Amino acid sequence: MQSHVQNSTASDGEQTYFDMFSLPRKLTIDTAALERGFYKLSRQLHPDLYARKSAAEQAWSLRQSSLLNDAYRTLKDPVARTAYLLKLEGMRMEDENTENRDPRAKQNRVPADLLEEVFELNMQLEEMRANLKMGEDDPALRGDLERAQVQFKAMLTSLDEDLRRAWAAWDAAMDASDDAAKNEQKDAMVAMLDRRSYLRNLLREVDGVLTWQGAVGEKANI
Amino acid sequence: MAYSDKVIDHYNNPRNVGQLDKSSESVGTGLVGAPECGDVMRLQIRVNPETQVIEEAKFKTFGCGSAIASSSLATEWVKGKTVSEAMEIKNTDIVKELSLPPVKIHCSVLAEDAIRAAIGDWKKKNAVGEAAAVAAN
Repeated sequence: MQSHVQNSTASDGEQTYFDMFSLPRKLTIDTAALERGFYKLSRQLHPDLYARKSAAEQAWSLRQSSLLNDAYRTLKDPVARTAYLLKLEGMRMEDENTENRDPRAKQNRVPADLLEEVFELNMQLEEMRANLKMGEDDPALRGDLERAQVQFKAMLTSLDEDLRRAWAAWDAAMDASDDAAKNEQKDAMVAMLDRRSYLRNLLREVDGVLTWQGAVGEKANI
Repeated sequence: MAYSDKVIDHYNNPRNVGQLDKSSESVGTGLVGAPECGDVMRLQIRVNPETQVIEEAKFKTFGCGSAIASSSLATEWVKGKTVSEAMEIKNTDIVKELSLPPVKIHCSVLAEDAIRAAIGDWKKKNAVGEAAAVAAN
């Protein structure tokens, strides 16, 4: 049993996070059951139980523990859970640090009006940063950004409501084994998560500029 | 992870930053983005209607150093090329030129998408289909 698992260390593809906790591939999950499962499995994998075992078995328990932690963290957070499920379902959910990505994957995925909006707001942010650097604070610009902040927060809230509806729709489609409905929800959720990423990035930057103390650097993440 | 010298050079001295008149008939605008890192890239070209040569290119990118360098390089490369030559620019060429690491490949993809989007916009404005482009030659 253990040697079998050891042989398949590189590919954890056979067992999904949902499988680990015996949960169905649904987006509304029983969080109490998830937590119970996590503590139960954690105890079974506790390093103390492996203290007198071979090095290989100790290494195995360590790997399993870290996998279990990843699984728990991912499923506990509804947005991470959604992104994970979409990935399992063959949707391309790229994150910046994935090396083995298909670079052609997400062409034209972002709606044009969202891009316009993001671009314009970035222009305003840049102007405000430049002003602040010169020690000026343009009240009109600040007002624009404050309005943008309120607006983007509202957009995020309404987006999260849409997401919750999509989770319910996905779960219903799963119960009904309705592939057409499932596909529709998958596409909708990918678009929502994209929009969510943009909104959150923007909000973070708007917050940063509005609470500027002169020490915040320009956006130049390596 | 360190940036290559070429990326740093483009980042510190970006070429062709700016804006062209979006409403002009001879200008094509491409606006593309990558939601996961919050990047947005606008690339614009001014095309000579007689020769179909891209005479001017401008960009404005909000994003990491690699995204800025990729779009800066893209504007340098499209200038002086015909529209159809510019369509041949591949993201892998940008990766090679800038020595981008695997995690930054998507920045070069974004730049290629931006070139194509700008050319697409120009073609749409000027009703240049493939057939018309051939006829013009």
